[in-house]
Amino acid sequence: MTTIATSGPISAQSRGWLARAWTRNGAGYMFLLPWFIGFFGLTAGPALVSLYLSFTSFDLLTAPRWIGLDNYIRIATADPKFMASMRVTFFFVLVSVPLKLIFALAVAMALNRGIRGLPWYRAIFYLPSLLGASVAISVLWRQLFAGDGLVNSFLANFGIEGPSWISNPNYSIYTLIVLAVWQFGSPMIIFLAGLRQIPQDMYEAAELDGASKWRQFWKITLPLLTPVVFFNAVVQTIEAFKAFTPAFIISGGTGGPINSTLFYTLYLYQEAFGFFRMGYASALAWVLLVIIALFTAFSFLTARYWVHYDD
Amino acid sequence: MVSRVSRRTILAGGAAALSATAIGAPRLAFGQETRLRLMWWGSQPRAERTFEVTKLYMEQNPGVQIDGETVGWDDYWPRLATQVAGRNAPDIIQMDYRYIFEYARRDALAPLDEFVPDVLNLSGFDQAALDGGSVDGALYGISLGANSSAMMINKAAFDEVGIDIPDNSLTFDELQRIGMEITNAGKRRNFYGIADGSGLEPFFENYVRQRGKALYTEDGQLAFDAEDVREWFELWAAMREAKACVPPDVQALDKNQIETGMVSLGHAAVSYGHSNQLVGYQALNKDPIVMHAYPRIAAGVGGGHYRKPSMFFSISSQSQNPEAAAAYISFFVNDPKAAEILDVERGVPESSAVRESLAPKLDDTGRAAVEYIGGLGDLAGPLPPPPPLGAGEIDRMLLRVSQEVAFGQHTPQSGAEAFIAEAESILARG
Repeated sequence: MTTIATSGPISAQSRGWLARAWTRNGAGYMFLLPWFIGFFGLTAGPALVSLYLSFTSFDLLTAPRWIGLDNYIRIATADPKFMASMRVTFFFVLVSVPLKLIFALAVAMALNRGIRGLPWYRAIFYLPSLLGASVAISVLWRQLFAGDGLVNSFLANFGIEGPSWISNPNYSIYTLIVLAVWQFGSPMIIFLAGLRQIPQDMYEAAELDGASKWRQFWKITLPLLTPVVFFNAVVQTIEAFKAFTPAFIISGGTGGPINSTLFYTLYLYQEAFGFFRMGYASALAWVLLVIIALFTAFSFLTARYWVHYDD
Repeated sequence: MVSRVSRRTILAGGAAALSATAIGAPRLAFGQETRLRLMWWGSQPRAERTFEVTKLYMEQNPGVQIDGETVGWDDYWPRLATQVAGRNAPDIIQMDYRYIFEYARRDALAPLDEFVPDVLNLSGFDQAALDGGSVDGALYGISLGANSSAMMINKAAFDEVGIDIPDNSLTFDELQRIGMEITNAGKRRNFYGIADGSGLEPFFENYVRQRGKALYTEDGQLAFDAEDVREWFELWAAMREAKACVPPDVQALDKNQIETGMVSLGHAAVSYGHSNQLVGYQALNKDPIVMHAYPRIAAGVGGGHYRKPSMFFSISSQSQNPEAAAAYISFFVNDPKAAEILDVERGVPESSAVRESLAPKLDDTGRAAVEYIGGLGDLAGPLPPPPPLGAGEIDRMLLRVSQEVAFGQHTPQSGAEAFIAEAESILARG
């Protein structure tokens, strides 16, 4: 790509190189063309435009007006809703991601014991992730956790009168966390693959030395699995930061009750499409990008202290 | 009529050619045909009625092709704004009083005066209906019906407890007593007298208007103060305390749709909406639903309600065919057959001739909607100034602060102060 994009004087030698490169890879680039168009037209292009818009005041109906850093200054100093949405989002990320990983690992280990019909179980446990953060599931969740929903009907059998989970600001975020944890399928599959990679003779040796299952888990399984844990943690953290649909559907787009489900992405959406502040919403989007990048960079920096690679 | 062929026309033509092939009926895509796009928000019954009128119009006007698009209220405004920004706005746009000023002042809408009366016949409209759709002296929106905010009452739930539907003298005190009676009777499971209206902007507006104020001044500032908000929150705190209304975690299930209103969910005998929604409420509820005006703050005090255009048809300033669009709107608001199809689902028709021709054909629900608007009497006052930029955000914010008060995170006093401070900062930001 870079060679194609290069302009200006090109020496005979490099032109020959270019021609040879084209002969060698031209067909490949042609096959990639649809992706290039998609990437530059639908991802990179709009992303750059949103970077520009983040320095403007833009209401969709009139042309964007350049206001410099005002949007970013407001985010940093004068936006209580930004802080509220940050609190909700960080709470969600920090609680849901570890829970989801623990759950996924537990199920993966249960499935990794050579039981019959493993593909079936794998498929069944993966199913919730396929349904994913869809609208249908969110609607289902709303029914489950409403005041007279299924969960409370079940609790009533034990004489417990449950609150209206989704419409009580003290509990609503937990229904979203449960929903996220329930979709443990993709990290589970990856854990399962990771578990398969661990040489069996290590366990046999440990067995001979009299190590308990618990000790085997801490001394063999977990250390050898750390690269997979790391991968899953990074991917799931990014996913959790980006979560949108469940909160949008369950709260009816308000992030309520009382901002208790106001995910960062939901706040961004409200600003953009509820109140038509495209410039401000663009700035919010870039702040989110930076936060996710920082989180990921932090993960990579600390990885060397706890992730063990074989080689 | 199509004299210029723009890139968009070709694209639209291409899309039309594609869809024509898809349904196997080759249609003329580039000929003399006038194509109009029409977009509105609303429920399924509204969609059916609108498509039927459109079909009728196309039958009577060969050579005009009207493509309808419809989405729910919440999705409508983002979509419209995006299309306007992308120079891809529909020709005919369903507009709301909240947005018409914003769109008109930013030149997104075409002024319609030049089409009146030759293309656009508004002879049956009274001045109030025309004024509602005017911005800075020019006509930008044709009202599709009159409505007003209203309480929706489940009559069966009242009957069970032996309470008559009150007359128009109803006060807040009486409403509270009725609510307590229904809750205490305990005839239904998890059922209360009335919905909690403290977070509902139209209800609050009605309240401040009865106090001689309004939501906004002509120049877009707050027209009420913290004292009004505090007393409003206190009024509802008393309702909750007395168990006249639903508790806050039940009220929070309401997403401001007919489907999630406390009456439709079966949690209260009274909830709140707009008079044109009676048709939708009745369609969703097995029990008979009747409408009632909001209560008075004290006996003899009125003027909280106003007769408002429920929605408009406007024409995009980007339209290639404003005249054809105006002709369609004229048909929509005047044709007796169209009126019969549309019923009062968009509110009571503005044209007096249409109202007369429609009257004998209305069913009970339709008649109730017409009578409600006609019978407001001293409860109705003049149309308030249009809401300023940021009003939509304040609407949402009222809901949030009302929940903070209801869930005990604010006292009525501190909630009122927080509300005023935040509302002023929203208005300052615009």
